[in-house]
Amino acid sequence: MARVYVSTVIGTSAPKVWERVRDFNALPRWHPRIRESRIEDALPSDKVGCIRNFNLQNGDNIREQLLGLSDYDLFCTYAILESPMPLTDYVATLRLTPITDGERCFAEWSAEFDCDPAVEDDLVDGIANNVFQGGFDALKRHFGG
Amino acid sequence: MVKVIRSTILNAPVDAVWNVIRDFNGHDQWHPVVATSQIERGNASDMVGCVRRFRLEDGSELREQLLTLSDIEQSFTYCLLDTPIPLFNYVAHCRLFAVTDGDRTFWEWESRFDTPAGQQDELAATVGDNIYSAGFDAIRAHMGLEAA
Repeated sequence: MARVYVSTVIGTSAPKVWERVRDFNALPRWHPRIRESRIEDALPSDKVGCIRNFNLQNGDNIREQLLGLSDYDLFCTYAILESPMPLTDYVATLRLTPITDGERCFAEWSAEFDCDPAVEDDLVDGIANNVFQGGFDALKRHFGG
Repeated sequence: MVKVIRSTILNAPVDAVWNVIRDFNGHDQWHPVVATSQIERGNASDMVGCVRRFRLEDGSELREQLLTLSDIEQSFTYCLLDTPIPLFNYVAHCRLFAVTDGDRTFWEWESRFDTPAGQQDELAATVGDNIYSAGFDAIRAHMGLEAA
């Protein structure tokens, strides 16, 4: 089982960051690598079980299913159903935690998946840097941090 | 039941911070309110179940028991056994998280307890400000860290 873990500090309150990331269909609005996204079967994007179908800037298509969403604990968990990446059983969680001594929050993005050991390091690096850190960098540009 | 939570960012790698705070008997080395501390019965300070007996700068004596200690999660839990302050059923939890972006540490310190009616707010502020937030600042000073 491969694991990816990336965390950062974003310069605004957790509820404000959550407002920007909780919409499972909103990746194109805040993540620079995502071009367009839709929710399949016209379901609401906060209905657990809904599927987002989105395209990266390079044209790759990915389908992901929402497994868990908590407005209380500020996290969202999802699985990849289809993607061009050579991996299986991919489950990821994006979580926000307030930092009480200032107007800022702690953000964690983690994933676990299975893959051929020969490609594991490349996959882990790509997901950590391009997807997770890339998304956090965009949030830090937007909110400061 | 009162819940208190305080958290901060430290400008140091998570392993370095864990090295300091994982010693259940080490708080007299860094926390400003703790004058002296010892583990009862000669137990090791990382033995789950051990009891630390410590004296505050004001002379009062407290006993706390280590309930969990995890080097994987970099966390520990403890409860108050004896205290002159009216905190009942007090259980506290300290946990560190790595901030991979910048090699820093996110530290969360929280507790739940009961108090006599009417003293909830006052005791919650005392615990949060004088123990937890003061502890964060003390670790910064102890480790020679700049504010983060």
